[in-house]
Amino acid sequence: MLIKEEKDLTHSLHRRGSEESLQNDYIILVTSAYGYNHEGARDKLLKVLDVVFEAEPDNLGSNETGTIYSGVTIEEIKENLTDVPRVRCCFASKEKMFKVIKKIHEMDLGLSVVISGLIDNVIDMANELDIKPHTVNLSLEVWGNVETLPPEDVLEVVTMCGHGLVASGLVEKYIEDVTKGKISPRKAAEKVAHPCVCGFFNPDRAEKIFAKYAQK
Amino acid sequence: MKVNKDKCIGCGICVPYCPAFAISIANGKAQIDEELCFECGNCARPRVVRCPTKAFEQSEGVAVIPRRIRRFFSDPTVADAVTKVPGRGTEESKTNDVTGKVLRGEFGIGIEVGRPCRGTTIHQVEKITMALAELNVEFEDCNPVYHLMEDPKKGTFPEEIKDERMVSCIIEFAAKEEMLEPVMNVIKRVADELDTVFSLDFIYRFDEDGNIPIIQKLNDMGILVRKNAKVNLGMGRPLVVD
Repeated sequence: MLIKEEKDLTHSLHRRGSEESLQNDYIILVTSAYGYNHEGARDKLLKVLDVVFEAEPDNLGSNETGTIYSGVTIEEIKENLTDVPRVRCCFASKEKMFKVIKKIHEMDLGLSVVISGLIDNVIDMANELDIKPHTVNLSLEVWGNVETLPPEDVLEVVTMCGHGLVASGLVEKYIEDVTKGKISPRKAAEKVAHPCVCGFFNPDRAEKIFAKYAQK
Repeated sequence: MKVNKDKCIGCGICVPYCPAFAISIANGKAQIDEELCFECGNCARPRVVRCPTKAFEQSEGVAVIPRRIRRFFSDPTVADAVTKVPGRGTEESKTNDVTGKVLRGEFGIGIEVGRPCRGTTIHQVEKITMALAELNVEFEDCNPVYHLMEDPKKGTFPEEIKDERMVSCIIEFAAKEEMLEPVMNVIKRVADELDTVFSLDFIYRFDEDGNIPIIQKLNDMGILVRKNAKVNLGMGRPLVVD
């Protein structure tokens, strides 16, 4: 059985949320391919990290360290880049995302660059920069015993961590705390961002979801 | 994971962080249901749970098979020794501009079993792989799931690992486009036989004009395609030409 398409889902694929909510939700991943072009990639990735950090991402992290929301610094992320490194970060603004793609395109590093977001918006950005997109990874929804999944608002927050480390129980706890006025939507969003080690979690979107409960 | 009972003060801060719902408080101390535990490591990360007494420790068994499997597929900070890729799958579309794993006239499938929220056992994974093996699909060998298989031709796994639980793992393969309908039909059928869920990835090359004509084909088959996706911009070098 499929989940119905009332709202949307996608690691960075399968994020759930309405089209409107996903308008300001972009993930960039820059990586080398092990066995193909990973040698020397570490130095290139360090340059990319500088570019994304200058653009003030809404989240940034690495599997090796965790994210800026959990207190990790850009220096720690740089120091811990592996031999098959990846730079990942989240932008809650199309304008910022565009500037970063433009800069990396100009640098011509030969690394794979993947953008997650609304397909039409990503293609628009690529067209404007005369970039020819190569491959798409489409999300064909959730299948199986979907009746056992938590409510949609919880899923929208949980699916921003594609590694599945943001527990549904944690989101439910903070929805309850926000509803009771124990914590602000922003603070709740930042708390829930901690388990996402790679930096894909979008605290701005999470804040908006929690804010619905503060208004009740 | 395990709790050092001498250190634990029973504050319960850790409980909601567990994606497996494996942590509870009993007799004033946290306890972990080892059967449920994914070994994702969330509870022991000092910047995540921030346990005031650092009471979480690795369990002894996690360093060896079969329990080690849980950690490989659930803890993104651990890279697979064979693929060198951290996490549950391969690089799928992320580096397809360089690797050319999925070429024009083909499609790639990633079945992310257990995602979202539910987690999975190898038992559930095997239901899917055995069904797909009947179509003679060739599972991606640069993927940790492949290396767990007893017989990749049959999609079977060794009995001793079938109860192991994990956040999720990804069954991956590529096929020629003419196999689209048979593959999707098998996926539809097996989905109804599962106790868990899976998120379905579909990897495809843009055509020369920058379009994705397969979306209409999938819609015609009654398959929903989300409006958000991952797009490989084709900046990797050397670029695969197909």
